[in-house]
Amino acid sequence: MAQAVPAGGAIPSATPAATSSGDLGAPLYIAWQVTNECDLACLHCIEESGPGKAFRDELSDSQAFAFLEQVALEQVPYMSFSGGEPTLHPRFFEMAAYLCERQTQLKIETNAHTLTSEGCERLKRAGVKAVQVSLDGATRETFNRMRVRGDFDRALAGIGHLRSGGVPIEINYSPTRFNAHEIGRAVDLAFELGAESFYTGRTMYTGNAVKTWHRLAPSEDQYVEFFATLHAKATEYAGRMRVHFHEMGLLEELRYRLRHPAALLIVLPNGLVKLINALPFVCGDLRRQSLGEVWANFQRAWQDPRVSQFVEDLAADPRRTATLHQWVFL
Amino acid sequence: MKLARYVKFREEKFGGVLFETRSEKVFALNPTASAIVREIAGESCDQPTLIARLAARFSGSSGVIESEIAAFVGDLRSRGLLED
Repeated sequence: MAQAVPAGGAIPSATPAATSSGDLGAPLYIAWQVTNECDLACLHCIEESGPGKAFRDELSDSQAFAFLEQVALEQVPYMSFSGGEPTLHPRFFEMAAYLCERQTQLKIETNAHTLTSEGCERLKRAGVKAVQVSLDGATRETFNRMRVRGDFDRALAGIGHLRSGGVPIEINYSPTRFNAHEIGRAVDLAFELGAESFYTGRTMYTGNAVKTWHRLAPSEDQYVEFFATLHAKATEYAGRMRVHFHEMGLLEELRYRLRHPAALLIVLPNGLVKLINALPFVCGDLRRQSLGEVWANFQRAWQDPRVSQFVEDLAADPRRTATLHQWVFL
Repeated sequence: MKLARYVKFREEKFGGVLFETRSEKVFALNPTASAIVREIAGESCDQPTLIARLAARFSGSSGVIESEIAAFVGDLRSRGLLED
């Protein structure tokens, strides 16, 4: 008789990001950047999103729904809508409901500024799995410094609407040199706000962060203290709120992924599909290819020598992540 | 019993996968385990009903089948993958 084991056997790991994709008939997770438009212009945004930054060739409504239909047909169990700010998409609520009705679990990643009581009730009715809110600070001062055009109180109000509406809440936190010291209080705040999970990791040198790195980059000493606090908080909140964090550096993670390609696709607002967010490689175009075709090409693309070469080049020059938006088609 | 709220099941060539989307953990299943989970995912049922259904499909002594299914179901429960 078989056992359900999280490790060993044909699929040797425990998360979609670490699961060997080659054995699977379809992705386990699709992260769709619904639009590059955003109401904020955050200092660290890896997507260079902001007001007026929507791609000119973002998926049309019919293309977007056709894509979601394929997600359902391929039985992709899990999907996230991010951006930019996904709630700014004019069909956001309809797309969320459409996907949930077809049994794919959906997570929304948002800055929460546009969330209203009515909107949160719609998300609850649709049955979204969770809404993850970016809250990079335990204080108004640090949050507003990081999230240009953003407002701490509006983010908290949005989270309050989620809580009132009974929508599961998750919090995401990007560390910088001016907010890393607040991590303990931020975890406490997340719990007070009713979050079920808290996510963080190292902030990446790409997107807007390339221009602002001198103001953002935490020191290694700060990271040591940051992760030590997180270890303590994970223990403190065990059984009450999950505290997830990735200590692994980007290079280490990419080398791991070369051996174990993730079972997830990153879909850009225009339907192009990236191998992984931290690499510039594009392995498909959902405007011209089916999800199945893209998935097959995804498997091949990870074996392309240009991918491993890029990762090794990063070892010599970590700042090559500044070029992640200069897409390379495989 | 049924699959827990945040658990999704998908059949694969090698058997199947269970994906717990809150912890984002993936569990690989061989064909036998996949057959059991397919029964659970298809229609909520109690353990005796599950055993009766599977005993009709698999060869072997009923005692062995019953104990192995009970162990497997216990394993799924301990991992939070099933709920009543």
